[in-house]
Amino acid sequence: MNLETFQNRVYPVKNKLFRFAFRLLGSSDDAEDVVQEVLIKVWNGRDQLDGIQNIEAWCMRVTKNLSLDRLRQQQRRPTDSIDKGSQVHYSALSPHDLVETTENMKRIGELMAVLPEKQRHVMHLRDVEGYSYQEISEILEIDMSQVKVNLFRARNAVREKLLKTNAYGLK
Amino acid sequence: MDSNKDIEQLLENYWNCETSLEEEQTLRNFFHGSSVPASMKETAELFRFFEAEKSNTLHESFEPAVTKELRKRQGGKIVAMVSFTNIARIAAGILVVVVATYFIRQEVRKSYPKEIQDTYTDPQLAFEETKKALMMISNTFGKAKHEAGKIKMFNDAEKKIQTKGTDKSNI
Repeated sequence: MNLETFQNRVYPVKNKLFRFAFRLLGSSDDAEDVVQEVLIKVWNGRDQLDGIQNIEAWCMRVTKNLSLDRLRQQQRRPTDSIDKGSQVHYSALSPHDLVETTENMKRIGELMAVLPEKQRHVMHLRDVEGYSYQEISEILEIDMSQVKVNLFRARNAVREKLLKTNAYGLK
Repeated sequence: MDSNKDIEQLLENYWNCETSLEEEQTLRNFFHGSSVPASMKETAELFRFFEAEKSNTLHESFEPAVTKELRKRQGGKIVAMVSFTNIARIAAGILVVVVATYFIRQEVRKSYPKEIQDTYTDPQLAFEETKKALMMISNTFGKAKHEAGKIKMFNDAEKKIQTKGTDKSNI
């Protein structure tokens, strides 16, 4: 595989890799380092890429493994700055609604950040990146049933907290 | 396009993890708009959060930097050459050992006495050699029998002495 083919096949997923690494590590700098490491690793093993059915899912799995390795080395929780990445770009909203929505999203980011690790990863891969259950199962190396269970729990935990917050103004 | 009732049903399926990726996209599109009923406000926030997450991307300078790094590593042939050199070294070592073993073996063969050499090609000579060997064994066996007889004589004498000694003590 030459560099041009590599750029066409692997580069388009770089932002997904970055967001996933960011979700796992909670730091933009670390996430960027991991993505660079992933791309170099994939490039070095480019001769084996033809045998891989879903390169995107495979890259995501490499990202997960390298991020977890880095996390183990650093021995720190990944939720330090988890909420700082999201920015809102909704032209349909009024300035007042925009401010309110930004606040709410920061809150949702915090709700997601306190979910158990597996639930957080599954929810990110499904609801943000739009992966199928099969792909999530491949990326996280867990059973499909576990994917569904974790997603169900994550969605309902977030929903419950959102309802409570809106009903009673609790945080 | 989608009535609120349909959306409510889709949402219910979404919470139960029974929606397809296409149905989830329909929900995203719905909540991206401005005509969201107040009863679904908190759910809309959640979907907007997922959309906003996607705006978290790598810096533009990331891709050129990685490409530069990959170009450096494109000279991966150097690595291949290095491994070839190592293999050549090992092969040369093995060759030296094999040649040395051959010459040592030749020297050892030269130093063997002639009579020990094989006689398989001439049946008469083989017979003579076998006869000679059997005679040698027979002579050696005869000598051994003679020596064993001497030992037996000693044993007999020792027994007699012991018997006499016992008789005296009984008296």
